[in-house]
Amino acid sequence: MKFFPFIWRNLMRNKLRSLLTGGAIALAIALVCILRTMPAGFDYFLEQLATNTRISVHNTAGIVYSMPYAYRARVKAVPGVVDAVSWTWFGGAVDKDDGVTFPSFSVDADSIGVVFGDLKFAPETLEDFRSHRNGALVGRQTLKKYGWKPGDEVTLSSLVWPLELTFRISGEIPADVDPRFWFQREYFEQALREKGVSFDQAGMIWARVDDAEKVPAVMRQIDEMFRNSEAETTTETEKSFFQNFFGNLEGFITVILIVTALVTLCIVFIAANTASMAVRERLRELAVLKAIGFHWRLLFVTLVAEAALLSTVAGSVGAGLSVGLTSMLRTAAGWNQQLGPLSGFVMTNVLIVQALFLAFFIGILSGVVPSFGAARRSVAATLREVF
Amino acid sequence: MALPLAYPLRSLVHRRLRTGLTVAVVALVVIATTLFLALVSSLRRTLVSTGSPENLIVLRKGSDNDGSSQLPLEAYQTLRFVDGIAKNGEGEPLVSPELVVQPFFFRPDGGRENVLVRGVESVSLAVHDEVKIVEGRMVEPSQGEAVLGRGVALRYANRGIGSEMKFGRRTWKVVGILESGGSSFESEVWVDARDLAADAKRPIPYSGMRVKVAPGADRDALIRRIGDDPRWALEAKPETEYYAKQAESANTLYGLVVGLAVLAGIGAVFGATNTMYASVQARIAEIGTLRALGFSRASVLIAFLVESVALAALGLVVGVLVAWPLGLAVSKALGGIGFGAATFSTNVITLRVGPFDVVVAAALAAAIGLAGGLAPAWRASHLRPVEALRKG
Repeated sequence: MKFFPFIWRNLMRNKLRSLLTGGAIALAIALVCILRTMPAGFDYFLEQLATNTRISVHNTAGIVYSMPYAYRARVKAVPGVVDAVSWTWFGGAVDKDDGVTFPSFSVDADSIGVVFGDLKFAPETLEDFRSHRNGALVGRQTLKKYGWKPGDEVTLSSLVWPLELTFRISGEIPADVDPRFWFQREYFEQALREKGVSFDQAGMIWARVDDAEKVPAVMRQIDEMFRNSEAETTTETEKSFFQNFFGNLEGFITVILIVTALVTLCIVFIAANTASMAVRERLRELAVLKAIGFHWRLLFVTLVAEAALLSTVAGSVGAGLSVGLTSMLRTAAGWNQQLGPLSGFVMTNVLIVQALFLAFFIGILSGVVPSFGAARRSVAATLREVF
Repeated sequence: MALPLAYPLRSLVHRRLRTGLTVAVVALVVIATTLFLALVSSLRRTLVSTGSPENLIVLRKGSDNDGSSQLPLEAYQTLRFVDGIAKNGEGEPLVSPELVVQPFFFRPDGGRENVLVRGVESVSLAVHDEVKIVEGRMVEPSQGEAVLGRGVALRYANRGIGSEMKFGRRTWKVVGILESGGSSFESEVWVDARDLAADAKRPIPYSGMRVKVAPGADRDALIRRIGDDPRWALEAKPETEYYAKQAESANTLYGLVVGLAVLAGIGAVFGATNTMYASVQARIAEIGTLRALGFSRASVLIAFLVESVALAALGLVVGVLVAWPLGLAVSKALGGIGFGAATFSTNVITLRVGPFDVVVAAALAAAIGLAGGLAPAWRASHLRPVEALRKG
């Protein structure tokens, strides 16, 4: 610690250079953070919304294939299942020209609070949802995007059904990254009946199992029950369902990871360039310091510490910058069809800590090679060369 | 009097490590930017190049894609005889009724995706004239046969004609491969419409229609005639407009990528500035000599700018040369890059660096070179010869 002023002075010797290097590292670290919030947003999404006791039952052929609504009662009767709720895709749009900007489903009002109980709905929200035929539960992400509040009336035009329905928002689905919009199946069925369509299908069924240990057995039993029926089912945990559902993002995530690695490498080169310039200029004084008795190891450590200090300080500025930028992106982007949960841009503490470590580590790495050579150089050779 | 071009270029060679590191920084920024841009522009290109301006897509009013539309059979039968629709040699109207369903397909690594399966009739190929069966043949009615788009064949099956494939509720026999010049039809599977309706248990076999406008006919008038028919709530729009609309969501992505590239670019400017300052610093005496010999400020300024721009140009060349094969290699390794779409189906694209991506990257590199060189070059050109000579 007593060498800190020495290191600091050295850093401040060429203020412009330190500033430029620091700026470049800060921007690159900010970039790495932003890029990493994309795949990390997916993990966060799963962590926030998925539990291991909720299972999805859907048609084996695909999620656009439906199943009879009666399956819900049969799933509910399986031992170990606490409750089951049906989901049917509504494809609602606020403005038809913008298309679907958040996922909307009709659900069973009496079971939704049980099956999705882990989301910790306010009891009065659920009560309001059950007692209003046109009630809707809306995820925070969507509420924020459109500035809706509980009690507001909103009209969605379906792009799938010949329907335009008006809903009254009962309350929020209490998860930050949740874009979903749920409303009562009864309201939906009735609207279809008025159009002369009787609807007895369901898109998917979600069930809650009372014990995580029982989940594999319950899933097997459900699929067994519907084998050779008109709609064979595939049952999987919620996590596996979402992973599969967003599975086609894998390629995009790979490209993001490649770009992140490239930018990281970029920081190494910028930092290494500066470190080597700084060391080269100081060869003479290093030789003098050694000549008056400082050990080369000490000089080596101070040089590396200088690079690490600059990089870490710049890294924290970059991390701070990325917090601001991602919050801007979150408001601007919302739910992007091509990105799904990747456009959540969720910044977590883990990401920030990792970015700081990255910056620190890069600082050390970039300082080691030039500093080692300089610190080990023979005093006589250096002094002879320079004078 | 101008300094010879060799002067700044030689100076790059002189300080190899510094030049190498800075070129690497610019190259990395170029690679990152080009890959990202190419990804988004490949997606856009795939969507925008789909469809023909002479074709109309007819859907139920209010539905924005053919996966979510349904049409009564009678609508098809009456639409065939609307004025202004092209006819084939036998006088058959070029109206292709189609059913779209998106069953699961499984990648070799086990991941599953929704793939657009299009139920078609024998007339369909004549309407979609961009689609060519390049291997095998078209499906026969009611035989449970399938033609795979090139992208689908590469991503999910990688098996040849004659193999069997399970999707939806049944097993299908692959009889052909279709190509459409890289457009999104290559991410589709074509089967017989009735086979598909039976498999999906759809009572109504059609979700939409594609109509070819007769040569010389008024396209907008035809669109109005279809939309105004009071019996069916239909809506017609040019195919190109339909796919361009799908490409719109890629625009947000494009904006995001450009934003990130600018951020990376500014970082690279800082890096380049540092290198150029160091280059000036190391040559103070030399600059003093040049000025004393009578070279003007402008010629010194230009020499340093040339050095900086050459640095960036080198980075650009290296970057593009790496990014182009890297993109193709990544695409190949992943079996094409999948993108979810508003139509609930997967678009399989090849990451290909296009000319426009290179232009954007070149603009970025030029900006890095100029912005990074300007301040140091200014300082060099404004050194006072006497002091410079003394300092050196």
